[in-house]
Amino acid sequence: MFRKVLIANRGEIAVRIVRALREMNIGSVAVFSDADRAALHVRLADEAEHIGPAPSSESYLRIDRILEAAKKHDADAIHPGYGFLSENAEFAAACEASGIVFIGPTPEAIRRLGSKTAARTLAKEASVPTVPGSEQPATQLEEVRRVARELVYPVLLKASAGGGGKGMRRVDQESELEAAIREASSEAERSFRNGEVYIEKLIDKPRHIEIQIAGDQYGNLVHLGERECSLQRRHQKISEECPSPLITSNPEMRTAMGEAALRVARAVGYSSLGTVEFLADIQGDFYFLEVNTRLQVEHPVTELVTGYDLVRLQLEIAAGEKLPFQQQDVHWRGSAIECRICAEDTENNFFPSPGRIVQLREPSGPGVRLDSGVYQGWTVPLEYDPLLAKLVVWHEDRDAAIGRMLRALDEYSITGLENNVAFFREIIDDPIFRKGWLQTGFVADFFARRKPKSPPPQELELAAALVAAAHSRNGKRETRNGKLEASRWLTDGRTSLLR
Amino acid sequence: MTKLQILIDGNPIEIDSRDMQSVKEVEPGVYSVLLEGRSFEVRAITAADGLRVETGSRRFAVEVRDPRDSSRLAKTALGSGRKSISAPMPGKVVRLLVREGDSVDSGQGLVVVEAMKMQNEMKAPRAGRVAEVLVRDGDTVAAGDTLVVLE
Repeated sequence: MFRKVLIANRGEIAVRIVRALREMNIGSVAVFSDADRAALHVRLADEAEHIGPAPSSESYLRIDRILEAAKKHDADAIHPGYGFLSENAEFAAACEASGIVFIGPTPEAIRRLGSKTAARTLAKEASVPTVPGSEQPATQLEEVRRVARELVYPVLLKASAGGGGKGMRRVDQESELEAAIREASSEAERSFRNGEVYIEKLIDKPRHIEIQIAGDQYGNLVHLGERECSLQRRHQKISEECPSPLITSNPEMRTAMGEAALRVARAVGYSSLGTVEFLADIQGDFYFLEVNTRLQVEHPVTELVTGYDLVRLQLEIAAGEKLPFQQQDVHWRGSAIECRICAEDTENNFFPSPGRIVQLREPSGPGVRLDSGVYQGWTVPLEYDPLLAKLVVWHEDRDAAIGRMLRALDEYSITGLENNVAFFREIIDDPIFRKGWLQTGFVADFFARRKPKSPPPQELELAAALVAAAHSRNGKRETRNGKLEASRWLTDGRTSLLR
Repeated sequence: MTKLQILIDGNPIEIDSRDMQSVKEVEPGVYSVLLEGRSFEVRAITAADGLRVETGSRRFAVEVRDPRDSSRLAKTALGSGRKSISAPMPGKVVRLLVREGDSVDSGQGLVVVEAMKMQNEMKAPRAGRVAEVLVRDGDTVAAGDTLVVLE
């Protein structure tokens, strides 16, 4: 096993990895940018190294600086987390060349699965169904027009190197096509330094279901079941669960999808953790989407339902150990739900909202797991993803898990920046969510049918008024011009002068 | 006895100082309130636009009025002709889509601001002429900073 591992990431996932390392008695090295000097992952790691200014292109994406830090701190492996360099084959190869283990699949596997178009071809060859579309990069406008017409609008443009909705555009008619290609391509270029996009038939209101796989370096491969990830905003997942309500009612789908995922993985001799993403339509047909060759944000729901520690497993595999279990040993028990707690304004198109966390109360208690990357008083930087923490609950069945999630959300309070805790209280309690009728357009539909809030109970208003009075008496008085004076010393001073 | 007038989302509530016994500040800015045996937890936040009070998923805009102070200035609307477009959050200006003097339609993009890996286009709330552009490419802006003024 490794002696010391450098974590080439930040935020909650860096904290998650530090925790796994500590539990395994392995040293941890954090890296940080100027904006993250006081970040939680830096506070919790054994060692830490500054790697550059706040923009990620000058810090968390700098292969040279990260390798330098690994050598300086004598780390024998690097965990890339998710995002940043986690799916960068060049980085994986550079680690290898420096004699440092990259905790993930081989550069070759990343390369072959990293291009979405190449992965689609590979899936087809492995007899895994794919969404109709073209594997060719959309460069010749005339050619793309022709393909789009054949597929019949609406179509979807996607970044070949992408993920998380970056470089993705829905196109409803031909007149929008050219501008959409330009926008998608420039967004892909900015996000992945690769502006290549391709075209697919748009499957309307599909479910997004993915299969967790794990393979060792000796050809043993297993799947750990599915995660339902249909709840999305801006094409990015906001809540995930295991089992998928669809699979609860069609249990044979888990085996079918699991085997399809393993066929793709076998085709490239996959080792380490990975996720094979599928779209499922209303008929229960599923289509291969892409492979994420890394640890997934939503891995905790699988951990809670299967009982495996995926980060630990990933470290063991990277260190050359055999998979400690086989497919028939994998069992799924109960139901787990995750909510991604983000600094964003849900009432304003999910606009990101960085800033200082003035007040924080975190949920705890039975069946509640909080993977957080923040603390009270920390200023959430504007340079990175708005994810603050992942709230995950487990219970014996989905209804009970929903009750537990609502309870945990009630306990959760973050003030100082806009966040989606209150929004999740509405979503998770929504009758259609409770039914498990999920699809990727769920959030948009929810906004369309959302009822205005009923007026608050009188006693709640009275409580609010009492607190307003108490708080202003404490020295936070509103002055005539609407500006605020916040100094209690000042008002106390004045009061004593008047005595 | 002191009476206080409080507007909760514009709804007037009068309280007197005796009622304050039911309020206990348990952490800075966090209050526990017991009303006839029922327990509430309420947070008070001093935001840029005034005092805000939150309880559970409810959020109230609050105004505390001292009845002895009657000189309160009525809030007057800003000049009807000019409209400022300001940054709703901190970020970085990545692209200016208009120049001073340009005519814009309602909904037309004015400035692209990037924050947290996401680009957001600030749009014109109505048609008009760009009177002022107050930022440049690459500027870092704070929440509330005026980006563009329309007239």
